[in-house]
Formats: sequence, C-alpha cells, structure tokens
Amino acid sequence: MIKRLVLGEAGIGVALVVLAGFFVLAAPNFATEQNLRNIMTQITLNTVLAVGMTFVILVGGIDLSVGSSMALCAVVSGTMMAGSSSPATLIGAILVSVLVGGVVGWLNGFISEQWRVPSFIVTLAMLNIARGAAERYTDAATIYNLPAALNDFGTLTLIGIPAVFWVAVLLAGAGWFVLSRTVFGRLIYATGNNEEAVRLSGHKTSRIKIAAFVIAGFTVGIAAILYMARLNIASPILGQGYELNAIAAVVIGGASLMGGRGSMVGTFLGACLLGVLTNGLLLMGVSDFERQIITGLVILVAVVLDAYRLRLARKLAVTQPAQPAAPNPVAS
Amino acid sequence: MNKKIVVVAGLALALAACGKEGGGTTGGESAAAPKPGEKPGVCLVMKSLANEFFQQMQKGAEEHAAKRGDLTLSVVGIQNETDIDNQVAAIEKCVTQQAKAIVIAPADSRALVAPLKRAVDSGVKVVNIDVQLEEGAMKSAGIADKVPFVGPDNREGAKQSGLELVKAVGKDAEVVILEGNPGAANATQRKAGFEDAIKEGGLKLVDSKTAHWETNEAHTVFGNMLTAHPNIKGVLAANDNMALGALKAIEEQGKKEQIKVAAFDNIPAIASYVRSGAVVSTLDQYGAQQAANGIDYAMKMIAGENISGWQKTEIKLITKDNVG
Repeated sequence: MIKRLVLGEAGIGVALVVLAGFFVLAAPNFATEQNLRNIMTQITLNTVLAVGMTFVILVGGIDLSVGSSMALCAVVSGTMMAGSSSPATLIGAILVSVLVGGVVGWLNGFISEQWRVPSFIVTLAMLNIARGAAERYTDAATIYNLPAALNDFGTLTLIGIPAVFWVAVLLAGAGWFVLSRTVFGRLIYATGNNEEAVRLSGHKTSRIKIAAFVIAGFTVGIAAILYMARLNIASPILGQGYELNAIAAVVIGGASLMGGRGSMVGTFLGACLLGVLTNGLLLMGVSDFERQIITGLVILVAVVLDAYRLRLARKLAVTQPAQPAAPNPVAS
Repeated sequence: MNKKIVVVAGLALALAACGKEGGGTTGGESAAAPKPGEKPGVCLVMKSLANEFFQQMQKGAEEHAAKRGDLTLSVVGIQNETDIDNQVAAIEKCVTQQAKAIVIAPADSRALVAPLKRAVDSGVKVVNIDVQLEEGAMKSAGIADKVPFVGPDNREGAKQSGLELVKAVGKDAEVVILEGNPGAANATQRKAGFEDAIKEGGLKLVDSKTAHWETNEAHTVFGNMLTAHPNIKGVLAANDNMALGALKAIEEQGKKEQIKVAAFDNIPAIASYVRSGAVVSTLDQYGAQQAANGIDYAMKMIAGENISGWQKTEIKLITKDNVG
C-alpha cells in the first residue's frame, strides 16, 4: 500500500491539493465557480498536448515540434474553413487538422527510427520546418472569420464545465485506457524500459515508437482545433514554446525522460498543477517576472522530489521483494 | 602622377558608398549624390518577416521603391524578433555591398547602435524606423544627430485610443492594461499613453500585466484579471491580438455588456469587433508605410539634407464611425 502511494501519482496529487489550498487562502476569488472554469479552459491545450507527449516520452523519445506543428495544423484547417458556415467543411477541416498533425508525427517517428537519429534532433528540425511551412502557407497573416459553430463550441459549457475541457478529459481518459488496459500500452512501457527485450520477444519496436509519435501528432491536430474554437483566430506564430509546457506537465507528472516510467494520471495532474499555479499567481497579483521564476522553481522541486521518491521506492522494493516486476510499475 | 591618384580616388569614391580611403574627406561627401543614371542602393533591414505587420511593411516598401524608381532596394529580414546577431550581420553586409543608406527596424534599441555607428562612420546614411534607438546609447556613440527616427507616436496613439475608452465607460470605472513585451520600446510607450488617458479620464487602474502581444496568453491573463477584479469595466490592450484574447474571455464569462476594449494596430481581424462596439477604438499607425517613409527620408539624406531627431508619421484613431 505504501509502495503504491509512493510510486503512484499520490505525490503530485498531494502537491496539487496543497497548492490549491494555499491559493484558496491567499488568492482572492480563487475558489469561485467561474475561476475553476477559467482554469479548465486555460489548461485545455496543454493537457491535450501533454497526453500525446506522454506516449512519446514513455518510449524514450521527445517531441519538440508540437508547438510549431500545431500552428501548421491550425493555419491549414483554418484557411480551409474560414468564411464558411457549412458543417461539412467544418468537419472536413477538423479531420484535415488531425491528419496534418498525424503526418508530421509520423515523419518525426519514421525519420528517427529509419536512420536511428535521436528524436530530439529530428523534432528540433521539424520545429523549424513546420513553423516555416505555416508562415509560408499564410504569408504570415492571421486567419479570422472562422465558422460561428466553432466559436460557439469554444464558449459552450456542459454541466458547468467548458466543452473544450471535456475534450481534454476524454483524451486523457482514452490515453489512460490505452496505456494501462491494452497490450499496445504495455508494449509502450516495455519499449521504453528495455527495447531490446521487446524486440527479442518478437515485436517491431520501431513500429511502436512511430505509433507513439503519430498519437502525439493527432493530439496536436486536436489542440489546433481547440485553439481556434477558443480564440476564434489561427495564426502561424501561435504555439511558440508550447512543447516545453507539455514536457513540463509530463515530467512534473512523474515521467522519466529516459522512457518507461510515467502515467497519464500523472500527466493530467501535472498539467493541472501548472495551470493552477499560473492562475493563482496571477490572482495574487504576482508580477510577470516573479511568476516565471516561481514556475521554474516548481518544476525543479517536482523533479527533485521525484528523484527522492524513486530512491525510496527502490528501497521499498528491496525490503519487499515479493512483488512481481511488471513492465509498467506506474501505469494506472 | 598626383593628378592620376586623385582621379582614381575620385572614381573609387563615386563607385563606393563608403570610400574609407577618403582620409580627410568626410563620410557625407563620399556618399554624395550619385552619378546620373546610377541608382543608389538602399538597404532595408527588417525584423521578423514571420510577422504579418513586417510583411506588410516590406510589401509597402517594395511597392514604394518601384513607384519612385530612383533607387535599388534590397530587403533583409531576420528569423525572429530577438535575433540580434543576424541583424548586426545584415548591417555589415549592407555596408560591404556599398549601400548608400540603411533603413532599419532595430531588433534591440541598444545592441544595434554600435554596428550602426560603424555604418555611419563609413559614410552610409542611416534611418531608424519602427522601434526608436535609445537616445543615451546614440549620444555616447556620437550619432544622435546623424540618425533620424521616422515613426509614429505610440504614446500619443495609445492615449487617443484610451480616451475613447474613457468616453465609453465613464469616470472611476475599473480598468486593466494588457502590456506588450517587457522592455520593448513600443510596449513601454503604449503603456505610458494608456496611463496618460487613465489619469486624464479619472479611471481606476486595478492591474497591468504583459501578455507578450499574444492572443492565447492574453486570454489567460485577462481571464484571471477578471476573476480577481470582477468589476472591471474596460481593457486597454497594447495590440489587437491581445484584445482578441481578452474579447474571448469576456464572452466566456458572459460580460459582453459590461466590458469595453480599447486596442491598437487596426489589424483586419479586429474590424468586426469595432463595428459591433465591443472594441471602442483601435489605432492605425500605417505600419505598411513606415518603411516607405523611411526610404523617403533616406533618399533626402543621400541628396545631401541633414535630418535628425524624431520625424513623426501619421496616426489615425479608428472607431465605429470610420472603421472599414
């Protein structure tokens, strides 16, 4: 039981509760219904991107291109549906956005697997390519005049919760299910833990890794649509630095950048923690510069605590050797 | 013998924009009026061409140069707005290519002063557009009286836009400012202009934060401001993109009737909001013409005019009455 708590997402959960508790006391209007709704809309994009990023990080990769490819997805699909009110065009544009994201993700995965290049470098290159392509596609112009239906969806609430956040929650739920309840999910963890062993047991690890990048690409395409629904514009310069926020959420959620360790619940809580932090600090009137410093410190504290947690977990594992070694000790 | 050297030197000077061998001759003379039939080269050093605003500015400059027909324009851009090194390299390239004048939108108001001084020293005329180079740095480099700034009065513009908000929300109303990038000169000036309007109109400024010119960040920052200060009646956004983010947050929180926005830039995406009255005002500073104006001044200087100081360009307040 203790082991589960230490190993699981309890740590980040406790941190989130403590932080939220602090803001309830210190930040005026933090605990209002409207503000909770605000936080949900504000963390939607990062949550969606972090869901895909979790897959990539679990197989030991990283995707630095998500912010740029999100801009590419947005301008391509945005151009397609601007000025149109036909539902068919809207649905087509959504599919195109997801497709463009998937293709970019496939390229990332395929190139790094085919030529054994670290995904760090491949996606760094893609960061530039996708951004340049987005700017070229629109001549750097901002796209507006998006369908009213999309805009309405961006402001819609269901049972008091923003519709866009529902999408993020559904995606995180689907990601959780895939990672912890399917064979594919087990293979994702196993590939990150010990690629050779998975290969020797007869699985094509490169396919699993490419699939992780494609999943990340799909989430990028969805995030692009959500961005446009929320803000009613598409710009080729949107999404700068979003990759780092997504990575931060995954890492705060307890994932290892070496792969094989992490969880969807952790990622979700990590994204919540970052969102609550930004929101609370803004409500308290903390200045822009201090806010950046505090956000950085929180990321540092999270990873250092995580290192401690791991050490403790290893000790516990030594004292209780009866537990079977599952390939995904943290999957839940 | 002596005569021959003079002739050779004279030829060199006529061909080169920056005859360093001129020794006793001043830079001004070496870059004197070009020979008939030879068009002087003007270098336009831009900021990020990935920005719609600079794209328009470049387009405007190219059209203007073609219309004038008496110069050869070459445009150099940089990757992003903070890519100072590449802008320095661009200036050096212009000097090497013997341009007669450089028109520059500096990526940094201090870092570019030193390379520009080298350009001025080698006889190239320099015109500053978009963001004003810092006066102190210019003075200590000794080029404060040689480099004019051609551009709009951001402070006055922001004040005009802000005063429209005063009319819409009335005295004592709570307002907030969404600032541009910290440290950017135009962001500082626009903030100052908004503050002038707030003071003059007797508004109550309850918060002021940066959203880095960006829509999504403005949405977050303003959404949270609204939570902290539920009685906000007005927003002063230092550019239209941030205004768009604030407008969405207002819409989401169902406060369309309560809150009015004053903005800046007059981008196409803002027009429908100005028409509907959600945005009471924005400001057109004719960005597309800024580089073209700079070229005109550069040509005057090549022709021998001495121009320095701030040459203010046209600004226009856009409201419901005159929005396109």
